[in-house]
Amino acid sequence: MSTKEESRGTLSSTDFGVAASAFILNWNTICSSFPQWTWVLSHHQVEGYLSLENILLSSTQEEHGELSFPGPGKHSHQEDPIDVDDATLVHINPCKVHYYDLHIIYCNSYRVPVLYFRAYDNDGEPLECDEIEKDLPAYSKKALSDSKWTFITQEEHPYLNRPWYKLHPCGTSEWMKLLFHADDDALAKTGVAIELYLVAWLSVVGLVVGLRIPFEMMKQL
Amino acid sequence: MASESIVVFAQFQSAVDEGFWHRFSSLKLNKLGIDDSPIPITGFYAPCSHPQVSNHLTLLAESLPSESNEQSSTAATSGGNRNRCPVPGILYNTNTIESFHALDKKSLLKAEAKKIWDDIHTGKAVEDSAVLSRFLLISFADLKKWTFHYWFAFPALVLDPPATLVDLRRASQYFSLEEAKSVSAACNEWRNSSLTADVPFFLVCVDPNSLATVKHIKDWETCQSDGNKLLFGFYDPCHLPNNPGWPLRNFLALISVRWNLKSVRFLCYRENRGFADLGLSLVGEALITVPQGWRDHQCLPNAVGWEQNKGRQVSRCISLAKSMDPTRLAISAADLNLKLMRWRALPSLNLNALSSMKCLLLGAGTLGCQVARMLMAWGVRKITLVDNGRVAMSNPLRQSLYTLDDCLNGGEYKATAAVKSLGRIFPAVDAEGVVMAIPMPGHPVPSQEEDNVLEDCRRLHDLVDSHDAVFLLTDTRESRWLPTLLCANTNKITITAALGFDSFLVMRHGAGPFSSNDERQRLGCYFCSDVVAPIDSTANRTLDQQCTVTRPGLAPIASALAVELLVGILHHPQGIFADGELANSSNSGSCEQPLGVLPHQIRGSLSQFSQMTLVGQSSNSCTACSSTVVSEYQERGMEFIIQAINHPTYLEDLTGLTELMKSASSFQLDWDNDDDDDDCIEI
Repeated sequence: MSTKEESRGTLSSTDFGVAASAFILNWNTICSSFPQWTWVLSHHQVEGYLSLENILLSSTQEEHGELSFPGPGKHSHQEDPIDVDDATLVHINPCKVHYYDLHIIYCNSYRVPVLYFRAYDNDGEPLECDEIEKDLPAYSKKALSDSKWTFITQEEHPYLNRPWYKLHPCGTSEWMKLLFHADDDALAKTGVAIELYLVAWLSVVGLVVGLRIPFEMMKQL
Repeated sequence: MASESIVVFAQFQSAVDEGFWHRFSSLKLNKLGIDDSPIPITGFYAPCSHPQVSNHLTLLAESLPSESNEQSSTAATSGGNRNRCPVPGILYNTNTIESFHALDKKSLLKAEAKKIWDDIHTGKAVEDSAVLSRFLLISFADLKKWTFHYWFAFPALVLDPPATLVDLRRASQYFSLEEAKSVSAACNEWRNSSLTADVPFFLVCVDPNSLATVKHIKDWETCQSDGNKLLFGFYDPCHLPNNPGWPLRNFLALISVRWNLKSVRFLCYRENRGFADLGLSLVGEALITVPQGWRDHQCLPNAVGWEQNKGRQVSRCISLAKSMDPTRLAISAADLNLKLMRWRALPSLNLNALSSMKCLLLGAGTLGCQVARMLMAWGVRKITLVDNGRVAMSNPLRQSLYTLDDCLNGGEYKATAAVKSLGRIFPAVDAEGVVMAIPMPGHPVPSQEEDNVLEDCRRLHDLVDSHDAVFLLTDTRESRWLPTLLCANTNKITITAALGFDSFLVMRHGAGPFSSNDERQRLGCYFCSDVVAPIDSTANRTLDQQCTVTRPGLAPIASALAVELLVGILHHPQGIFADGELANSSNSGSCEQPLGVLPHQIRGSLSQFSQMTLVGQSSNSCTACSSTVVSEYQERGMEFIIQAINHPTYLEDLTGLTELMKSASSFQLDWDNDDDDDDCIEI
């Protein structure tokens, strides 16, 4: 990574690819019991992004009951009784479950990685921002409301063409600059900067979405 | 036997990813149209991987055939991996909610059950065991409201009498320690090999030396040797400790028909963190009484399997309007833009005030079009445009809401065309067009027209009344008079923009004459400037000449300033009563607002590329906003208006302006002493 980029807290798209490979290796080794990150190629097969999907979160929220039935007249239709035999057990999950998908995608215009995420419930129905915020641990909520650098926006996913939530990247280079300059000499000499970019980045960004980086990974920074 | 009970299987649970509906909507809109023939789809599932949550049969975007023109009449089983075992399914989508509810669920289920039955008898289910979990999905995709009604069925052939459960316990309790180790290793190997990772049914052979091997079910014959323990294993999505998962139902049917076994030892294979978990997995033994006629391929057993929804026999419904409706997406994108401004640069930005403000634009020409666009960019949603003209051929170039189409066939009414155009730019705008001329003083009307003119006046009065801010964007001086009076009467925020060839004026009118109790001087209106600053009139007189010959750059500049001025007023604590500030001044008294200074008047010149701010106080002789005129209007209403319209000098006489002009040369310009010393001449 060029020192110029480094000093601005940004990185090139090639460097992002390098950082991502190193990150996957790192994470999947150190955190083998955690869900694994994978590298997904976009349909152009040129660019790619990091993906961590189907993270299961048992929510403490109440069952929303009729969430699945929007609109009036939903109860007016009488369904014919369908055969159910004695050998069928119908079970309802006792706890409300939310699923999260995280993608780390490189942003060309800001030249930094961006965290995209979405959440959905059992039925696949997407969760709203305020419902997501209820799932977040207290320190994340604080980070979101206090910091002027972190806020969640909803924009179209660059590859999936559907709205995903993301942490807006406009402040990223600012605080990445601080992180990297915290220990100038060490990084400049080892040249390991690129590989550690994502760990450093995620250690901050992860806080906001309640994703903790295991200590073993942080030790390298 | 008292201890025996029937095997109770936990029903499969469905989960549909948003992406599936997105892809399906696109397929329906672009390719299928009203064609409602069944579509082969692929579901995905994996063994349970969490002790408290069952896994689901999932549909993703990839579950649907691609949109290209390849004919895919066979089940398109897209590639799976260890986390996505592909399962064939079929989708029946109807075109109306009525036909959705009218589908014959019994026969649809029967048809799919028959396919499984056939696959068992022909042996296909042994080769490609995933077909045992074939499923059915019925749906109604409402692509206007972006809601999706759907219902899954997981057909299971019913054993009659049902299978009885002899034993069911944790796999770790069934196997010895040695065996358990070997079984886990063998299963993990099966799961890690790309050839078998997505094969959900398999055999587990444990030899007397506790060595376990996992085999394909078609290799059943090779497992037949004494001393070997043979278990029928399957990927179990269910997490419950006392119930095997749904796939076992058809697996038992297969075992019974093909191998005629009465006693079946099975392994409900479940995982944790990607590895076999024999504490979560179950081993059980079931006894099957082969029903009469099961050997006969032609005799189709009963089937069950419609998914229950929270214990009820109803379909499910999901609304994806927020993420699919283009209008909603446009709205949230627009809101995002403004929120970013507030977050990053202007925390005191009052977005609510902007979005709830109702703006009236008098004139839909070069100024009106630009002002409307700028207002929308600031988040204003309610815009009314008044103009009586039609779009002419030369207009689209300078009037940014119109295109050539609006000029054809004599030209659309500007007010109407503008509203349509705004809607195309931002569908959530609440725009209204009024085709109406603005009555002008000194332009007498023939008596037969008088009623129409009165009607227009009343209409204008009502329009001003029902809006929060009024923009005067016409091209003549006289047409600004009545609106100014009406605004002064109701103390509405009024912004005037006027163009000359290469100069412009943008200003905000002061408060109305009866708007507050204190005596302080209020800022002037457009007409006050005529009186109070006559020496400024060189710039003034070349404005509003109703000539279309202005430098094109002027209108956009003036329009933009007009809107920014409004936003400034909105954010000023005193609003319409705010004092006029000058740019580049050290206003020791006033604290600067976050948006900057709030001028009274801005006069600009393109020939100089310059701009200056001015402050003008109201004049008691003003023909539009002085207390004299406004009180006449309040007392006599339309009668007064008609009089002003019909008699060229009425207004000047009323306000004493005529007298004033006579003595103009000896008039002292004294800002603070601008009392009405002159006599009012009554007519």
